[in-house]
Amino acid sequence: MTVDYIFDFLTSLLDGLIGSDYLLLLAMLIPCLAIFGFITVYALVVIYAELKVSSFIQDKVGPMGQGVGLHAGKWGLLQPVADALKLLLKEDIIPSSADKPLFILAPFMIFIGAFISFVAIPFGDSIIVADLNIGLFYILGVGSIAVLSLILAGWASNNKWSLYGGMRSAAQIVSYEIPAGLSLIVVIMLAGTLNMQDIITYQAGGLFSWIIFDNPFMPVAFVVYFISAIAETNRTPFDLPESESELVAGFATEYSGMRYAFFFLSEYANMFVVSAVAAAGFLGGWHSPIVGIMDSSAWGVFWMISKTGFLIFVMIWLRWTLPRLRVDQLMNVCWKVFLPLALINIFGVAIWTVVFNS
Amino acid sequence: MKRYFTDIYESVTSIVGGMGITLVHLFKARNDNVTLQYPEEKWPRPERNIGFDHSSYNVIRSRLHVDMDDCIGCLKCERACPVDCIKIETEKSPVRGEDLKEIKHKGVTSNGTRKALVVTRFDIDMSECCYCNLCTYPCPEECIFMTGGPNAKKHPIDYEFSEPDRSDLIYRFAKKGAKQGLAELNAKQDAEA
Repeated sequence: MTVDYIFDFLTSLLDGLIGSDYLLLLAMLIPCLAIFGFITVYALVVIYAELKVSSFIQDKVGPMGQGVGLHAGKWGLLQPVADALKLLLKEDIIPSSADKPLFILAPFMIFIGAFISFVAIPFGDSIIVADLNIGLFYILGVGSIAVLSLILAGWASNNKWSLYGGMRSAAQIVSYEIPAGLSLIVVIMLAGTLNMQDIITYQAGGLFSWIIFDNPFMPVAFVVYFISAIAETNRTPFDLPESESELVAGFATEYSGMRYAFFFLSEYANMFVVSAVAAAGFLGGWHSPIVGIMDSSAWGVFWMISKTGFLIFVMIWLRWTLPRLRVDQLMNVCWKVFLPLALINIFGVAIWTVVFNS
Repeated sequence: MKRYFTDIYESVTSIVGGMGITLVHLFKARNDNVTLQYPEEKWPRPERNIGFDHSSYNVIRSRLHVDMDDCIGCLKCERACPVDCIKIETEKSPVRGEDLKEIKHKGVTSNGTRKALVVTRFDIDMSECCYCNLCTYPCPEECIFMTGGPNAKKHPIDYEFSEPDRSDLIYRFAKKGAKQGLAELNAKQDAEA
């Protein structure tokens, strides 16, 4: 379901009625709206999951409703909807000493960074917005827009907490992009391509064809990538840029209402993107773990979403298990542990490929 | 160098151990938690040891309740109330001791007294009530009482009555529409006569 396919379909449907330029625009807008709807629904689900999982881990019950009326519905199912409505209706405050254009730009930029990553994520063997031949590189590249917007948010707020948060996020995300990228290079070495669909096609043939089981170096690469990805999405235990006990809310201190909601939404959207990349790169993407069982293209969407969902669950699980790292510990882990591990992995996989796979 | 690897090993094992603990709590959440879904679930009331048998002890002061079918409108409770939180209005019944089905009025109390009056208003303002229990003693029909305790057969205990608005604490016991229904009844009788 690429843009070309929608364009061809629309051309056959509305041939001669509308100019082909407009049709191309329409063909681009339809996946955009679909992705936006997906992000919104997914965010509601994950917010609910986060509330419930965190409560269960702490022996609480989480949001619970008492039937009809102004309650949160059965089992508190309406809680994320209520949260979203609250954020929509809140007053939009811009501090008088803030850098107004940059302050307004930052939340849009971070959301765009998360949003355009979805373009190259394969949801099924034919369900991808744009099957780029540099898909993985593209996702890693546009993921870096987040750093820029976080610094922007921190700087434009004209607030010391925000500035600290922005600087921390810059140091953290730039550092952790290196081990994350180096771990994905191993995947590229094995699959021999940057195209997301080709990487997944390489892993066809059941559980033990997945890249994570390809050779003994791959589980390490997966763990290094996954932890670096958590650090890139600013989630606990790496939530230093918005550590609420030290920096109020870090870069988001001065943001309220819908602008804050965009930061929130893009954090969850980024979680999906990094989990989807991990699922596609290491866990076989839309392939079924057992050949011949539930591996039609419709089930592919199910497998992709459930693998991604499991990784998101692990992220939530980690968040409510581990305390926050100190800044020096954060940098220590990145440069002294993950970077050497990722480099050794590249070396090991290269040797392994030459010795065993040729 | 040895320190470096032991640090990595220790952090990996402690993270795995910690995640194991949280996973166990995640799946045992319903057994371990102590949260009470309050209006649906309540802690049982502790047994009181007051030196008397609980069921015969008459001074459990929870909430006033009136059994309107037994009330004869004698105003004794209104006069006994030291804070004047009881407001009663009565009107003469068209037929003494007869049921008036139109306004759900009962003619005879459970003690056998034939009522001459219809109670059109019986308001108790529980926000003013001082829980002195003085209104319950003069009542000849024993129809005004504190809920629970020895009266638990008549009305279960209600000690946590809370309302979103203060005026909701005025409990109106008189039958709804009694005043208007009685006026219509009298008008009909006048027309017939």
